[in-house]
Amino acid sequence: MTRSFSTPLAAMISVAILCTSTNISAADSAITGLSDVLAKENASNGVSLTPMPVADAATFLRRAYVDLVGRIPTEVEIRQFAELPQQTRREQLIDQLLQHERFADTWTAFYADMLRLRSNADGGAAAIAFVHKAVQDGTPYDKLAKGFISANGKAGATPEVGFILGDNADPMALAGATSQVFLGVRVACAQCHDHPFDSWTQHDFYGLAAYFGKTRRIETQFTNTVYTTEVKESTVLWPPEGQEDASDRKPMAPRFPFILAKSDNSSQAISRLEKLRTAYAVAAEGERAKKPETSVDDLLSDLDGKVDKAARGKKRNTLDVAAEAKRDARNLRIGSGIASESELRAELAELITDPKNRYFSRCFANRVWAHLVGRGIVEPIDDFSDSNPPSHPQTLDYLADEFVASGYDLKTLIRGIMISEPYQRSHASGTNAIEQAALEDAFLATPMRRMLSEVIFDSVITAGHLFEVKHPAGQNLKTVWQQNRVNKTPQKSESADDQQMAASGAAMQPKTRMVASSYNLESAIELDFDAILKKNSELSPQEANVAIDRMAVMSKEELEAVRMQQQERQRTNTEYIDRFVKATVDDNPTFTSSFRMASPAAPEHFLRVFGQTDRTQLGEHRDQSPSMRQALMMLNGRLTHEASRVGNLEPVHALLIGEHADLSQAIQLAYREILTRQPTVDEITEAKTIIADAGKPLEGMADLRWLLLNCDEFRFLP
Amino acid sequence: MHCNEYKLSRRSMLGATAAAGATFMGFSVQQLLALEGTSHAPKAENVILFWNGGGMSHIDTWDPKPGRPTQGEFEAIKTSVPDMQISEIWPELSKQMHHCSLIRSIAGTQGAHGRATYNLQTSYNQSANLIHPGFGSVVVHEKQKVGDLPAYVSISGRAPRASYLGQTCEAYFVGNPGEKDPYLSFPEGIQQERGNARLERLAKFNNRFAGSNRNAALEATQTSIEEAVRLMRSPALKAFELDKVPTATLNRYGDTAFGRGALLAKQLVETGVRFVQVNRGGFDTHTENFTAMRNHGEIMDPALASLIEDLAESGMLEKTLVVMLSEFGRTPKINMNAGRDHYPSVFSCFMAGGGTKGGQVIGSSDENGEQPQDRPVQVPDLHATFCHALGIDSAKEVITPLARPMKLVDGGEVVTELFV
Repeated sequence: MTRSFSTPLAAMISVAILCTSTNISAADSAITGLSDVLAKENASNGVSLTPMPVADAATFLRRAYVDLVGRIPTEVEIRQFAELPQQTRREQLIDQLLQHERFADTWTAFYADMLRLRSNADGGAAAIAFVHKAVQDGTPYDKLAKGFISANGKAGATPEVGFILGDNADPMALAGATSQVFLGVRVACAQCHDHPFDSWTQHDFYGLAAYFGKTRRIETQFTNTVYTTEVKESTVLWPPEGQEDASDRKPMAPRFPFILAKSDNSSQAISRLEKLRTAYAVAAEGERAKKPETSVDDLLSDLDGKVDKAARGKKRNTLDVAAEAKRDARNLRIGSGIASESELRAELAELITDPKNRYFSRCFANRVWAHLVGRGIVEPIDDFSDSNPPSHPQTLDYLADEFVASGYDLKTLIRGIMISEPYQRSHASGTNAIEQAALEDAFLATPMRRMLSEVIFDSVITAGHLFEVKHPAGQNLKTVWQQNRVNKTPQKSESADDQQMAASGAAMQPKTRMVASSYNLESAIELDFDAILKKNSELSPQEANVAIDRMAVMSKEELEAVRMQQQERQRTNTEYIDRFVKATVDDNPTFTSSFRMASPAAPEHFLRVFGQTDRTQLGEHRDQSPSMRQALMMLNGRLTHEASRVGNLEPVHALLIGEHADLSQAIQLAYREILTRQPTVDEITEAKTIIADAGKPLEGMADLRWLLLNCDEFRFLP
Repeated sequence: MHCNEYKLSRRSMLGATAAAGATFMGFSVQQLLALEGTSHAPKAENVILFWNGGGMSHIDTWDPKPGRPTQGEFEAIKTSVPDMQISEIWPELSKQMHHCSLIRSIAGTQGAHGRATYNLQTSYNQSANLIHPGFGSVVVHEKQKVGDLPAYVSISGRAPRASYLGQTCEAYFVGNPGEKDPYLSFPEGIQQERGNARLERLAKFNNRFAGSNRNAALEATQTSIEEAVRLMRSPALKAFELDKVPTATLNRYGDTAFGRGALLAKQLVETGVRFVQVNRGGFDTHTENFTAMRNHGEIMDPALASLIEDLAESGMLEKTLVVMLSEFGRTPKINMNAGRDHYPSVFSCFMAGGGTKGGQVIGSSDENGEQPQDRPVQVPDLHATFCHALGIDSAKEVITPLARPMKLVDGGEVVTELFV
């Protein structure tokens, strides 16, 4: 999509030449050769098509913001970018955005999709918060993966255990999930039969499942504490149930079915990795020397203090559970109790993340590539197999090896892809469908990508200045029916319908009830990642595990007392009824980032309607296809409506009303804020007509902004 | 397939047909069905599913055990069908039972709400990394959409997911029956004229953006907007409104959320909606079962009876399959809190219309309502039967994200007696 710029800003962000500068990267491991490797591979494949040019600066800017921080850039950010030196600004921008606070939010969603983390599942919210912190801290991907594969412990307290609990610690499900998520290999079919198109046998599958065979998900009877632990007996037995010789089933021996690479091209990458790790280890050793180590005794006495404090904090504690449990804790051997680490899964984690296991690095490199470029080198991204070879094996191996050599660093990988030509190229517009497909197949043109649901949501907020209040206080006073949750007075049991009637309020008009409840599909519970981790870290993972061990030695009577306590709490807390009251409110809405919402959102929520999955099904990826529901939500939803409305506190207001009014400038600002580009001369003329037709400039601008937010150009990346 | 049986059953013949590429001796499946005469041809075009979540007591509704210790507080009453008795909580419905059938021998296997609901709504058992589509999604996947309205509507609660059948097979959600969907009209303060002008200009913007090249993604987006606008402007939308329903009718159905839901379901199927699910909760009667069930009866009886009566009178019942289903039954034994607990071993299902013959009881439970006594019906059999009524090939395979072929229904045999 080529556009002619005809304004001062256009001159500033005119077509820039892609620079392959070498001085930007801080790390020695920067990936800089991607464009060359791909060009060489295309040449050896006999591809002779003319590549689409690298996209203009405005296009790059919009893509970079969307991909790195999950929203479009603001006017201020556009100007900041324009002021950077042309030769280096693309790399500079990438480096800036990799440090942006929203980077972790945005890429947490990527991981949560990949790992199928659900904030409402056991340990799910903590797992998501943990990933967030890992992205923030730059935790190496292999370390992150190892934790998820091998962790044992209490949901929440050991955040990584959320991955295992997501599949209920079921060995069969986990064999399928682990291989598909981390290695991109679909062995799940082999659960029931030898893989029809591939070399995986049912025996392979059972061998893999056996690594999970001794893991159990435990839910304590009364306190509903969920944790995983290891037992002696494996549940994975061979031969499978229902087979002829199934009468004599024996525990299956764990066997890793993937072959680790011997000496080949990747060995150079591995030696670079080892060098890097040695350097890290030396640095870490220096850090450790500064801090004294905590002993197990310290840990225990510290824990006692915390538990006592927690117990005192609760009022009317009928039984001092902590004290009772403490008595028995002395009989426990710390660290060898119920929640000790899984040796089998630790072994599996080592095998999966072994740098010689090329599936591991290829799969992740391809995932990130597909996420950024819009199309995987292997597609579908989780189906690596002999019958589905990569389109560009050398390019993929280059990327995977460089990723390994970088110490499995996500940011290095992202950066390497984003500075490359295949990321920065234009779409193949103006060509026929066959040529377009050929260009996209060879990564000589970028396919059109629709923004992810969270990105659309946050971009509407950004464009519409809805992260902060934009109307003066008192300007939007409204009388509404508010839904209030009040304690239910003890009554004879009411039928469900009576309760509904009571909830709706006798005098209420149906329409006002609608107002009170209608737009819930655009709001959601916000997760405070830091608070989740903090809450759970009041007890460290070891401490929480000790607490579980203690619970296991509590007597029946003690557990019963705990249960009664809980029941009492429920009685006083959960019996409520919805009442509707009339109230005057200042309807001055602000929205918060959808990346911070509990996820996946409720089924009818905006995010789900735009393709967020429920993160349950293995192999289900975001459905980016349009639907009528999406259209209705954008056309008539509150979010787009509020974003379109002009607030007095917005910069555009002064360009529409008052002595500094300048309609042309206002229109250009709207285009930049919503589409990250200047309007053409024709578009300015058209916009003036739209605004004139509305009669009032504020309403006219709202119409224009509504159009820009709803048009395809907004949701499809340039 | 029982190929060595001397008589090839209709089902196995159809199965063979499907396997042989949808023809058998040169006839298509549809032609074969037509050959079998009118009584066997699928008649159902629409479905109304009343989903009673929580596990509805079978003994206190469709399968009373008069004179047995498990009967509890309710009497069994006569119906318009000789020898068919149902619980006294259905005084009005009892007069309509000649239109209706009961299956009293469902042999469920799941006793926990989540797993049982999944099983009853999808025919499949839950598995760790795959979600099966609900029956409503199956129906709208297989039956063509009619008119402007969404093909699948769920009232007063969530319907199961469409999963691998795709976004177009998801249910359209109505929170409170009669309440207007705010997303179907222009935002607050945007008058009709202004809203229409916006839409017109939007089409222009999008056409310009698409330019001359035909991009499938852009075209599909445009189609979705057109569909949305067609729905917003559709006269058929009044099928979602209940404010014009005469008070007398509203009272006949019982002016309750459930009654309004039944009325809305009727209006929707009359307007071409393929599948309406009306959700109701509160059946998990571990305590005070009889108080709760009496309440449920007072609310459900007038609504269900009026719905059947009205659909039968207008002729709609012939092509509308009405089903009332729950995830399991409840224990015949009454517990110390006057409640009944979860009980999947045997429970019942209510059906009417859609080509099923009324006034029948299929199968029975034993004298205390504890086990199926004869003709046990498995959960997938129910789904195969619903499919049969609608002319849907329940053995048809669709492909999941893992490239695994899955049948629309997890096996199952049609309860053919219902259609005789």
